[in-house]
Amino acid sequence: MDPRKPLLLLLLVAIPALISLSSATSPTADDLVAELETLRVQSPSGVIHLDDRSVSRFLTSAPVSRPYSLIIFFDAAQLRSKPDLHLSHLRSEFALVSSSFAAHHASSPATSLRVFFCDIEFQESQSSFSLFGVTALPHLRYVGPHHRSPRDSESMDQAGFSRLAESMAEFVEAKTKIPVGPIVRPPPISPRQIAFLAVALLISAPFLIKRILDGDTMLHDRRFWMALAVFVYFFSVAGTMHNIIRKMPMFLQDRNDPDRLIFFYQGSGMQLGAEGFAVGFLYTIVGLIVAFATHVLVRVRNTTAQRGVMLVAMLVAFWAVKKVIHLDNWKTGYSVHAFWPTSWRW
Amino acid sequence: MAATAETKGPSALRNAFGGVLGVFILLLIGVLAFSIRIFSVIKYESVIHEFDPYFNYRVTQYLTKNGIYDFWNWFDDRTWYPLGRVIGGTVYPGLTLTAGSMWWYVLDMVETVCVFTAPIFSANAAWATYLLTKEVKGTGAGLIAAALLAMVPSYISRSVAGSYDNEAVAIFALVFTFYLYVKTLNTGSLFYATLNALSYFYMVVLGTLLASLVPVVGFNAVMTSEHFASFLVFMENVTLKHNDHYNIEEAFSWHYAQLECCFRRTYASKYIPIIASVSEHQPPTWPSYFMDINVLAFLVPAGIIACFLPLSDASSFAVLYLVTSVYFSGVMVRLMLVLAPAACIMSGIALSEAYDVFTRSIKLQLPNILDNSPDAGDINSVSSIAQNDASKIDSHATTNKSETVSKERPSRKNRKKEKEKEIVEKVPSNSENKKRLLVLPLEASAVSILLLIVLGGFYVVHCVWAAAEAYSAPSIVLTSYAPDGLHVFDDFREAYAWLRHNTDVDDKVASWWDYGYQTTAMANRTVIVDNNTWNNTHIATVGTAMSSPEKAAWEIFNSLDVKYVLVVFGGLVGYPSDDINKFLWMVRIGGGVFPHIREPDYLRDGQYRIDAQATPTMLNCLMYKLSYYRFVETDGKAFDRVRRTEIGKKYFKLTHFEEVFTTHHWMVRIYKLKPPKNRIRGKLKKPRSTSKSSSSNQKRAGNTQKNPWQ
Repeated sequence: MDPRKPLLLLLLVAIPALISLSSATSPTADDLVAELETLRVQSPSGVIHLDDRSVSRFLTSAPVSRPYSLIIFFDAAQLRSKPDLHLSHLRSEFALVSSSFAAHHASSPATSLRVFFCDIEFQESQSSFSLFGVTALPHLRYVGPHHRSPRDSESMDQAGFSRLAESMAEFVEAKTKIPVGPIVRPPPISPRQIAFLAVALLISAPFLIKRILDGDTMLHDRRFWMALAVFVYFFSVAGTMHNIIRKMPMFLQDRNDPDRLIFFYQGSGMQLGAEGFAVGFLYTIVGLIVAFATHVLVRVRNTTAQRGVMLVAMLVAFWAVKKVIHLDNWKTGYSVHAFWPTSWRW
Repeated sequence: MAATAETKGPSALRNAFGGVLGVFILLLIGVLAFSIRIFSVIKYESVIHEFDPYFNYRVTQYLTKNGIYDFWNWFDDRTWYPLGRVIGGTVYPGLTLTAGSMWWYVLDMVETVCVFTAPIFSANAAWATYLLTKEVKGTGAGLIAAALLAMVPSYISRSVAGSYDNEAVAIFALVFTFYLYVKTLNTGSLFYATLNALSYFYMVVLGTLLASLVPVVGFNAVMTSEHFASFLVFMENVTLKHNDHYNIEEAFSWHYAQLECCFRRTYASKYIPIIASVSEHQPPTWPSYFMDINVLAFLVPAGIIACFLPLSDASSFAVLYLVTSVYFSGVMVRLMLVLAPAACIMSGIALSEAYDVFTRSIKLQLPNILDNSPDAGDINSVSSIAQNDASKIDSHATTNKSETVSKERPSRKNRKKEKEKEIVEKVPSNSENKKRLLVLPLEASAVSILLLIVLGGFYVVHCVWAAAEAYSAPSIVLTSYAPDGLHVFDDFREAYAWLRHNTDVDDKVASWWDYGYQTTAMANRTVIVDNNTWNNTHIATVGTAMSSPEKAAWEIFNSLDVKYVLVVFGGLVGYPSDDINKFLWMVRIGGGVFPHIREPDYLRDGQYRIDAQATPTMLNCLMYKLSYYRFVETDGKAFDRVRRTEIGKKYFKLTHFEEVFTTHHWMVRIYKLKPPKNRIRGKLKKPRSTSKSSSSNQKRAGNTQKNPWQ
């Protein structure tokens, strides 16, 4: 480590000078490696950000058997908002792979460190994207030492992205023949937070214990359990499990008219999130109204108040039931009809 | 108020009258439960339905013919050829033994007994629901709950006449076991405890025997029980086991589903195609609830709240039952069946409480000419059920008749309450007998009652409609209404009868597993796989054969001694659940074991199609050929009415199979494997015979794929 550090510092100073001085003469391979290493040190996770210039410098205009290989993650800022691409998530997973790789090889010789993790953004380096022939994201490329042009480089199978960092690491290992090592994920809560939580728990423990001994916690409150039971009911009849399992969005955008949002989906096999909650609410509200009338309202002394509340309650309940029946008929296309004796027909 | 003391004499008479009326109502509920399930017999005929019931029917036949000892030792060599299946050890014997004893003691016709087992047990289930709800909240709630259960669509869907399956009986066993458990809790009687144990055993025999033997499931049952027990205060572990165990059993009884897939459904649907392929394992959307429990969905929250006011052992049990079952029903649409009794109980309680309040309001204020403001007693927290004893005189004529009998309940309940010393929560039970009359305004109550009756009426209409239109199709006989009248498609039985009469008794018939039970039961021929999907490899072999080109398929089938191959084809009449529509599952399941079958080979740009754009692999696989062989001769265009397109390859000949029978509407097609001698001739002829130029080359290329059985 020690002998390298001054060297790096030196390089840091030297490289810009070098570039400016000898833009005509092509840099040697060692120069490029040193430059890449510098860039890597500058980035917190070790992912080097490439643009059109650096791509041409490190790949296209570099001599063919390069002494390093690049793993390139293709990113697009404008597509990050699309939830089904998971670009930002994948990008952070890529950074994890990079830092894990660095951590695993921290003490090994520099040759194994000649794998550089890079990312490239669509907006600022469109020509590089066309150079690689990348048309769809997410996309991960391996450019080995012997790859002549960017198009020859090998891309990761699309299916692999579902397994995130692990499959990226496998891809890197398979291509570079260098182990990535265990993926080091940052713990969900930092040590400082743990300490804080522990202290908070310690302070509150006496109070909690006292309340538990008194039987005075929320868990001893019957109303809590009642609310919980009703909530589980609401949760289930709203079809929330369906939405979670199928990853349904809350609403869709109308294809013909992008300003309009579709909240209700016609066809019984599928439902949208907002739709489920709306109907689950309608399901639950009627029962709550009935319970309110039979258990609470009946205790009210004021007859006028009773009358008014009953009127509102009946209207709301009637509307809710009618709405659900209407929505169900609309959604499923069924029309329920009664069966009458034939002699009753007129 | 004043009525409390003077009601000694009349109340006895009233109780007796109420009791008789209650029994009468229960009888009517039983008749209702039975008769609403007869639509299938009236609209079609007295026939066993669907797939699994045919197996149960066959097992019952065997039991009645050979006796119970042979039944325990029965090794069935007619299925899973060449493996066979030990029926005695792997079947849930409860249903069979139940029907067997009914046959033994009551009726001598096996099929009639089997067809009507489900409706009879639905009536029993309604009565059991009455008993359980009575333990929770009194007679009135019990009667309403029983009436609701008698016609709840979710239960009807599994228990129409002819659907001779475990579920129909299991729901009765479940509810009855719960009743005995609650009864044991309420009375502390050893008698009920013993009965409870017996009934629990019966329930287990119905379903879980196998499930509890499987290590994964057994372990999970214990795990989840403890998991819940850690935060549920009132319930004992045993109860939870009932509940969860049953859920597992439900999940398990469809062969592969384990509790795993309840909790991690995504995992199952991604990696176990055989689970994902069953539509009943999908999570339901909100219309499913409206279809299956209808307006009960509105009433359940009120029932939950009523159960908490006051909370007793029995009512907390009911709440637990509801909450667990509603959660699991949200995960898998099939478990809606377990939710149905809980929803009925809760709605029964809710309706009963509501009617109670409203009728009381009307009754006490109707003779309201004299100024009658309820005197200001202190407001106590006793629920209305503890105080309506004296104040009720007669039933409200228009409401559900069940109201009448709800008054005999409180005195008994209070007696029981005193007996129980260790009630956890403090109901201010009968200490405060000062009653304040809790009433609502007269006219509002009347309108509310009217609204509730309309709601109940809608429920009845919906249930009858569901029973008549949605759930009564036996799926073995199909009908369709066309402008020119009713069409009946009886192709399945036609095909099975053909097999029975025209093939040798030891011939093996290959088909996709859906038709295994029916083939063994109706055609009495040996099958390779059936609906008891216990051996994934075997099923994958059949799937591979169906997805392979003719020659490879012939080799696979020949190595399994198969003589006939049966495919179901709906393209002519537009029957959507045919083999072509199931074909991707065959590919997936086959490819899961034999990797040379790859799903993308059958898809054009990710789309499943059989028209001219279809892939050559698709157009050359056995399933395509057997389904569409000579199809062009029907209308000259070969237009498939299910896929709504003309098929991709219309003219081709079969080299290794020959058509021996096609039913009237082409729904079932039976092919015979050509003997090896013919095969060689067919092979020599092939380049000449295939009319489409490209196909022969592709076929030969396809033949190089390796056969998993060599």
